[in-house]
Amino acid sequence: VKKYLLKRILFSIFSLLVVVMTVMFLVYTCIERSVIFQTDDTWNKKKENDRIIYEYNQYQKYGYLSYVDYTTFLKNKYEGLYGEGYDTNEDYLADRNVIQDASAFRDNASVKEFVKLYGGEGYAIKYLPPVTYASGKVKPGGTGFLLAVDEKNVVSRLWNYVKGFISIETTNTVQDENLTDRYIRVEKDPYSGFYAVVGSGTQHKYLLYVDGKFPFIHQNFIHLNLGTSYTTYRGSEISTVISSSQGEPKPTRQQYPTMIGTDQYVDTAIDFHSLTYNTGIVSDVERSQFPDNYTVFAYNRDSLSMLQNSFIIGVIALLIAYCFGLPLGILMARKKDKLIDKIGNGYIVFIMSVPSLAYIFMFAAVGTTLFHLPYKFANAEVKVLAYVLPTISLALPSIGNLMKWMRRYMIDQMNSDYVKFARAEGLSEGEIFNIHISRNALIYLVHGIPANILGCLTGAIITERVYAVPGVGNLLTTAINSHDNGVIVACTVFYTTLSLIAVIAGDLLLAKFDPRISLSEERGGGR
Amino acid sequence: MTDERVTSADLNETAVNLDDLFHFVDNNTIDSEKISAPRYSYWRSVFRVFFRKKINIFMLVFLAFIILVAFIMPNFWHYDLFENVSNVKSFNLKPSAAAKYYGGASTKWLLGSGPMGNSIFYGIIASARTSLLLAVICAAINMTVGILMGALWGYSKRFDSVMLVIYNILANVPYILLVSVLVYIIGSGFWSLVFALTVTGWMSIAYFFRTQVMIIRDREYSMASRCLGTPTRRMISKNILPFLTSVTVTLLATELPSYISMEVFLSYIGVGLSASIPSLGRMIQQAQSAFLIFPWEFWPPVAVAAAITIILYVLGQNLADASDPRTHM
Repeated sequence: VKKYLLKRILFSIFSLLVVVMTVMFLVYTCIERSVIFQTDDTWNKKKENDRIIYEYNQYQKYGYLSYVDYTTFLKNKYEGLYGEGYDTNEDYLADRNVIQDASAFRDNASVKEFVKLYGGEGYAIKYLPPVTYASGKVKPGGTGFLLAVDEKNVVSRLWNYVKGFISIETTNTVQDENLTDRYIRVEKDPYSGFYAVVGSGTQHKYLLYVDGKFPFIHQNFIHLNLGTSYTTYRGSEISTVISSSQGEPKPTRQQYPTMIGTDQYVDTAIDFHSLTYNTGIVSDVERSQFPDNYTVFAYNRDSLSMLQNSFIIGVIALLIAYCFGLPLGILMARKKDKLIDKIGNGYIVFIMSVPSLAYIFMFAAVGTTLFHLPYKFANAEVKVLAYVLPTISLALPSIGNLMKWMRRYMIDQMNSDYVKFARAEGLSEGEIFNIHISRNALIYLVHGIPANILGCLTGAIITERVYAVPGVGNLLTTAINSHDNGVIVACTVFYTTLSLIAVIAGDLLLAKFDPRISLSEERGGGR
Repeated sequence: MTDERVTSADLNETAVNLDDLFHFVDNNTIDSEKISAPRYSYWRSVFRVFFRKKINIFMLVFLAFIILVAFIMPNFWHYDLFENVSNVKSFNLKPSAAAKYYGGASTKWLLGSGPMGNSIFYGIIASARTSLLLAVICAAINMTVGILMGALWGYSKRFDSVMLVIYNILANVPYILLVSVLVYIIGSGFWSLVFALTVTGWMSIAYFFRTQVMIIRDREYSMASRCLGTPTRRMISKNILPFLTSVTVTLLATELPSYISMEVFLSYIGVGLSASIPSLGRMIQQAQSAFLIFPWEFWPPVAVAAAITIILYVLGQNLADASDPRTHM
């Protein structure tokens, strides 16, 4: 079984890579990249070469390419040669202005060096000659530019992504010559009262700690870098976006690290477990509050994270669905062709055939008008009530689905020999149905349980949109609409990983649940 | 049967004359080859069972009505989303207000006006046509390609191993992503959406059929048939495909409505058909933000979408039941 599992996992990783590559190809290569300027006012205002430079700048931000400007190259070169006062150096000015002369710039030594350096690295050299009026005067925005552009191809893009995917904290993560005392050790954590693993030289100060927030034990040793948002969550990393709390900062009575041991307290919303290393300049105020360079913090906020919102709604809906769907399915099978079966079938047909958008709105209309439940998530006065309608909307179709399959499998089992045997042995109908048939029918449903639970983490697109739940469900759809390529790739990795894990877990669970099934190829049936 | 019954009176008579009771029957070789069995036509039995249920007749009539209205009426009732776009007063009028505004009740303003002064009633009729066309075309393409590929996939073992890898990978690309990227690349017209929904949509059908074909391929009667030297083409057409009729119809029953739902869903998340094409999804999407304030804009398209999908689903399920020969007794 171990060998089989290893094979499955390796194949899963392979297909994950292919999926990511396919998606990268779709997003970066297939979609016309100029669509990002369709609603861009800045782009409309820019003229001539300025507009082209702006385009390259935006493309770089969205991750389509990377480029180096000749002037940046010159600055670095002359700063290295002459230090601070390089920008008044005559050679520098001459080299900088030479590209404004379309006929002579090719013979300049610095230009040649630039072309040789970046051309050798596979960059495409682009020259934008100055745009002038007939008189020779430069048009607005028409200054000439020289660029080296690296159009990333799919394979190198994938390679860079995979390379940066997992980052592990070591004592050498922070690059700062002044930091000499580097360690990872267990210390008493003044904020939780328990012990915590604390690092110096690592990006995060607290590497393993306990606090009162789900899932209670947190780690910062390994960070999965899913992808960076370009537009929707400006420059943030997606795994951080979906897992950090939302809403307004929530101040509580706390102590700054320097106050520990004294009886000084302040009201602050800072989450001291989130401290990360500040490579910049530490201000005097910060110096008085923090004993070391770990001064960058996040706030404790008053709402749950996106992932938590989606997961809570999903898991409760799932529990409701299993609690109602399975017994109702069994009941329908027992009372086959009776009234209750017909009502149940009507419900199933309704749920299966009507567009989900339509019935979710029906539930919303009924819930808001009859029961006065809050409609939009943010408008709820009592926070808990905001979860009611989304949860029910999510549960009702799952109930229908479970009822359908449970009934089907029960009826299929009802004609089996073991049922006839049990009946001949004199078992009561209740025993036969509730113990023997339902257990055999449940085998078919076991496979889907991991997928259902992990599916809660991906959120529900329509439900979350209708009730404006701040969850993960609409991450992908909003990313697609705003061309947030990093998020699209991140979502793909996230969803694909979850579904791959779910399939393997489902197979394992099935094999555990039904001893007749063997996963390894040597034993059991199948070919 | 009745004419062969022997009464006691006959017996008394025959006791007298034995020659009348027994007479020599010529051994007719042609007659003895005939096997006497009741006439059985598969499809006639299917429709006999299908029409036995009154609800099917009712639903068929209703579907025919919807199809006729959706395909004939837009020619007379021309729908234009932007016809009153410059007249703010005509926006979001409820049916009674619309009747008042346009001077008396009319079919056009039967259901009030929409967010751009458009007629809701004409809108849903024009949209129903788009939705029905989309569902039928997508289902036809996906089912045809899916069944053909699935049969090949299930029958050829070499093809199977290649296709399984491709399927396992493609099944993991988020479907919304694929469709929306395709819509972005080729535009948001009707045929672009058809292309986006069919380019990978056939895969799941083919996979489903692969499994079915594999099960039947290895059944005893198929093996026996092959041992007797039945050619592959006959195997597929006589042994495998007839067995899959009810499965095919069941699949069709879920596939057809699913494209209508899919269009509604895609329009809702903003990657469906373009605004100029009337579609149920577009209408629902435009009305959903204010569905509690302007309910007459929201519920009619929802009701039509729900009615079409329910009818297609129920009819399909019942046809699938009827196409199972075990119900023909």
